[in-house]
Amino acid sequence: MKLNIDGLLVYFPYDYIYPEQYSYMLELKRTLDAKGHGVLEMPSGTGKTISLLSLIVAYQRAFPLEVTKLIYCSRTVPEIEKVVEELRKLMEFYAKETEEVNNFLALALSSRKNLCIHPEEFDAVGRQVPLPAGVYNLDDLKDLGRRKGWCPYYLARYSILHANIVVYSYHYLLDPKIADLVSKELAKKSVVVFDEAHNIGKDLQRLWLSGMSEPFLAFPEGLKKDFKMSKRLEKLLFSTDNVCIDSMSVNITRRTLDRCQNNVDTLQNTIQRIKETDAAKLREEYRRLVEGLKEANVARETDVYLANPVLPDEILKEAVPGSIRTAEHFVGFLRRFLEYLKSRLRVQHVVQESAPQFLKDIFDKVCIDRKPLRFCAERLQSLLRTLEITDISDFSAVTLISNFATLVSTYSQGFTIIIEPFEDRTPTIANPVLHFSCMDPSIAIKPVFQRFQSVIITSGTLSPVDIYPRILDFRPVTMASFTMTLARTCLCPLIVGRGNDQVALSSKFETREDFAVIRNYGNLLLEMSAVVPDGIVAFFTSYVYMENIVASWYEQGILENIQRNKLIFIETQDAAETSMALEKYQEACENGRGAILLSVARGKVSEGIDFVHHFGRAVIMFGVPYVYTQSRILKARLEYLRDQFQIRENDFLTFDAMRHAAQCVGRAIRGKTDYGLMIFADKRYARADKRGKLPRWIQEHINDGSLNLTVDEAVQLSKHFLRQMAQPFSQVDQLGLSLLTLEQLESPEMLKKIAQIAHQT
Amino acid sequence: MASLSEEVLLVVKKVRQKKQDGTLYLMAERIAWGPEGKDRFTVSHSYSDIRCQKISPDGKAKVQLQLVLHTGESTTFHFANESTSRKDWEAAKELLQQLLPKFKKKANKELEEKNKMLQEDPVLFQLYKDLVVSQVISAEEFWANRLGGINNGESAACENKQEVGISGAFLADIRPQTDGCNGLRYNLTADIIESIFRTYPAVKQKYKENVPHNLTEKEFWTRFFQSHYFHRDRISTGTQDIFSECARQDEKGLKSLVTQGVKNPMVDLLSLEDKTLDEGYGISSALPSTSHASRTVKESSNFAIIKRFNHHSAMVLAAGSRKRDVPADQASETSSTDGNSRDSDFFQPPLKKVKLQEAIEYEDLQQENRPKTVALNLKKSDRYAHGPVPLQSQQYTTSQDIINSVNYIKHEMSNYKPNLTQVLSSAAASSAIAALSPGGVLMQQVAQQAINQMVPTEIQAELKHLYVAAGELLRHFWTCFPVNTAFLEEKVTKMKSNLERFQITKLRPFQEKIQRQYLSTNLTGHLECMLQAAYSKFHIWQTRRMMRKT
Repeated sequence: MKLNIDGLLVYFPYDYIYPEQYSYMLELKRTLDAKGHGVLEMPSGTGKTISLLSLIVAYQRAFPLEVTKLIYCSRTVPEIEKVVEELRKLMEFYAKETEEVNNFLALALSSRKNLCIHPEEFDAVGRQVPLPAGVYNLDDLKDLGRRKGWCPYYLARYSILHANIVVYSYHYLLDPKIADLVSKELAKKSVVVFDEAHNIGKDLQRLWLSGMSEPFLAFPEGLKKDFKMSKRLEKLLFSTDNVCIDSMSVNITRRTLDRCQNNVDTLQNTIQRIKETDAAKLREEYRRLVEGLKEANVARETDVYLANPVLPDEILKEAVPGSIRTAEHFVGFLRRFLEYLKSRLRVQHVVQESAPQFLKDIFDKVCIDRKPLRFCAERLQSLLRTLEITDISDFSAVTLISNFATLVSTYSQGFTIIIEPFEDRTPTIANPVLHFSCMDPSIAIKPVFQRFQSVIITSGTLSPVDIYPRILDFRPVTMASFTMTLARTCLCPLIVGRGNDQVALSSKFETREDFAVIRNYGNLLLEMSAVVPDGIVAFFTSYVYMENIVASWYEQGILENIQRNKLIFIETQDAAETSMALEKYQEACENGRGAILLSVARGKVSEGIDFVHHFGRAVIMFGVPYVYTQSRILKARLEYLRDQFQIRENDFLTFDAMRHAAQCVGRAIRGKTDYGLMIFADKRYARADKRGKLPRWIQEHINDGSLNLTVDEAVQLSKHFLRQMAQPFSQVDQLGLSLLTLEQLESPEMLKKIAQIAHQT
Repeated sequence: MASLSEEVLLVVKKVRQKKQDGTLYLMAERIAWGPEGKDRFTVSHSYSDIRCQKISPDGKAKVQLQLVLHTGESTTFHFANESTSRKDWEAAKELLQQLLPKFKKKANKELEEKNKMLQEDPVLFQLYKDLVVSQVISAEEFWANRLGGINNGESAACENKQEVGISGAFLADIRPQTDGCNGLRYNLTADIIESIFRTYPAVKQKYKENVPHNLTEKEFWTRFFQSHYFHRDRISTGTQDIFSECARQDEKGLKSLVTQGVKNPMVDLLSLEDKTLDEGYGISSALPSTSHASRTVKESSNFAIIKRFNHHSAMVLAAGSRKRDVPADQASETSSTDGNSRDSDFFQPPLKKVKLQEAIEYEDLQQENRPKTVALNLKKSDRYAHGPVPLQSQQYTTSQDIINSVNYIKHEMSNYKPNLTQVLSSAAASSAIAALSPGGVLMQQVAQQAINQMVPTEIQAELKHLYVAAGELLRHFWTCFPVNTAFLEEKVTKMKSNLERFQITKLRPFQEKIQRQYLSTNLTGHLECMLQAAYSKFHIWQTRRMMRKT
């Protein structure tokens, strides 16, 4: 249908529209008109992506000079591919309706491992040829590359510069190391969208452990083995961290330092060799360094590039200091720095200090000044270029150290250094780590807000909406939260606070080991498994907690009884194993046997996998998924939040926990034809301060009667709900309420109703 | 009666039956008993006829074994040898226990099949009643012809038969019970064993290897329940355990499942994330340095439980769908053997595309999928009902033909002149019409023929049954020709006598009944005709045979 959104003609590739989609587009249009940033929350399954794409594409067509490019950032690879497919649908609709060939170029970009077609031979052809207009998904790019013999990765990287729409992952914009390579030259008049933006927060620590990163593949065999071991054991402690923070934080272990030492040795040898054969090259480099980083400065001033937060402004105005200008001096400098770090790692107790303290200490001990430290990253890059080292991944350790040096000397605020001599769990094993943690995500995202004309942050679970602008330090022109209009109450949130024996259910620390609680949790799952058809997903607050509960359920024979009703699958810490379990789980739901998936909040499943329709008829959240607060980094971050943004620790923790809980239970409802139970099994959910932090679309369906249910009561309510939901539900039932035709949309009373959907904050 | 070819499995002397001493023989296919001093069996039951065996309770003085047959009869054997009665009884019982299930399935299946056929087909049931219950022919004869059908149908049914899945909780059904003296009793049924074998092929393998050469069945299962394999939360320590290898195999199987990866890209957690941070970046806790060895016992046992549940569920699921998957597996194997990454890329997209499309679909936003239809609005519905008949291809005429014929008809019509002199007189015409109308002279025969109005319905039904029964018998009779084997000769004579018996016991009473009700007697004329034809055929055959013999 063709819509009139505030005077803009928008092609919408469906015959019907949800009222909230219309409302969403209105808000979006307002944001684009104002050339400002926006925060928009709308539940998943209400067609957020297609509304966004429809409006922005229409805007681009109407005002080609105002908005030249859409940069759509999503999280996972399937997510990215989904966006491109929706875009394709939209474009096909355009072609059909307007009957003219449009010259839109849209493509997805992913890391080399997803786009590579010739793993053995390196092939960079494809940079020069412009891609014809069209919509290119990852597979299309690979196809094209295969036919033409081009490398799809380079083709895509080259093409994003002149594409109208680019879909890629957050990292390409937020991680300074990658953004510098890929996104630096993207036009200023772009609209940036961060979809699933609650996941700007996610943990990447597990990611690099999962063994996928390119440098990782170059690791020596022994290291890899180490990593695989640790991967399985890794503790679930994370997650208030986010892409912004991750990309700016550094961990240094002894191993890093050892590898760094090797790197430095290699550098020295290479320099020695080159000096003998090609001394002119080194002299040339020296000359360049004297002239300073003028080029970069010019570029920044003329606003051609996206700023790199690792490369601070001041550096650009100065020349590289003399002490590290020659290659040998620089290597010597690095050695000294390395020795200093080694000495710091020899501590016996935990040390926490700020960046200025660290700088003072380093000056006192080894007389390293702040200034050369600041140039460290840039100087190393230059050296590596000069030495014509092709395989930079071998030098990841020394790059890491130099980045750390630059960061620590540049930002006096927003970072903390924590040195831990051992892990909390194993105080006898010395394993010193230096954490250099970014406390302030706004540092990484700042250039994005500064450079691009509109940045839209959108997700299904952003509540409370106002906390994001504060944390990310920007001033949005629109902030809105939309609910889902429903023709039938297709979600049924229940708070189970007591067992049948009146024992209060809670996952709080004091009652964790309490058998009565564990048994009642087991009963809840058992009873539900008998009532709910097809798939049930249960989330626990942490992996350790789940392991313990599963073990005692096994001992008590509860699991055996559950097996009579459904098959049981359990998330493990191994991603491949979990994937298999997930697929089997879906298979079991598909063939009618029914299954239960036991999973962990903040785990991979909870953040990346949807359980549509029969894959998730009920979600049970066992306990409140608070983050593990004993972590020093987290504590430091909480302190920082309190000092800088006046966000109370408790508020933040509750906010974070409820967001994750909502995230988990929301996995089951993916659309208006879907339905599912949401069971919060912890009495603390009943409290107003917790409940109030759930997204509005869940909150409004919790009635006072379902605040403190026993297991039996919950089962009764569930039975009733499921029986109702199992009745046939057709489009006609929705029409006029949660689904509109064009005529219905244009009626004045409906427009009035729609205006109320947006919850202005 | 005892044929020598039969293998005698067990002979038990001094077994009483009906207060007579004798010897019990257990043979390959039947159980038999003969009184002492005679060399023939007075009791002989095929195993397939036996429904179950009942045994006297352990403590009872009289050691007895009762066989209950499918027909409901039962035979009781009393083991009377004082010293070894208990042992004999045990041996006979054990052997029967092993033998009966083998035959049971077969017998049951046949019975079931027959029952089903009779239930589904009322005509057949009536026939069965007419012929078998009234003992015109024996049940075996009756089924002899149909069993072919059964067997054919059986093979078809086997293919279509749905595999019964495995209960996810079959291990839970083996409820261990304490037996009061510090031991545990596990209840195993054939179903559970079957489930275990199907779910854990490794155990089946072990069973085949060890039973009965190394272990008895009982020992095998005892060890199974003692093993760490069964109790996965215990950490395996010993290596003599025969099941430790099973555990290893399972581990391997699980690993291969994991490395196979998932087919659905939407659930592949490995390729979910797009970009990874380099090592050393990101907020992380300290590098977890604890190695596998340093985990606490509890942790690793928890870990084992979780693994086990995943594996168990996967295996149960696989056991349910194994049959179906075979071709698919082969296909995937061929693709994966040469499967470098590029090849697998080629195979991937279709499924991926489908899943992606599924994921972005909003079914309620779209118009209903079926194409829009226009309501049919008929002003004159009879015109629609009597529309032009579709042309048969051979009747097809060219348009030229049609035009020609139309022209011809036009031409004929324009030249038509009624020849009024050659028309019948009106009186003759009306009398002809009267004669042809119902009740007229020419139509009387028709009215008489409408027996369905003259004969009461119960007589009709009876007649129908007679026809069916006669037809069946005649079919048996006629299938004997040409008579070229001794068996057929015998059969044809028997069938003839069957037919005669039928005529006497069924047809005659019916005829008399009709006569009593003063109905026209030629109702059974056709039946008698058919019988007569059969008799004459039989006579011809018999005389010929006589001639040949003389």
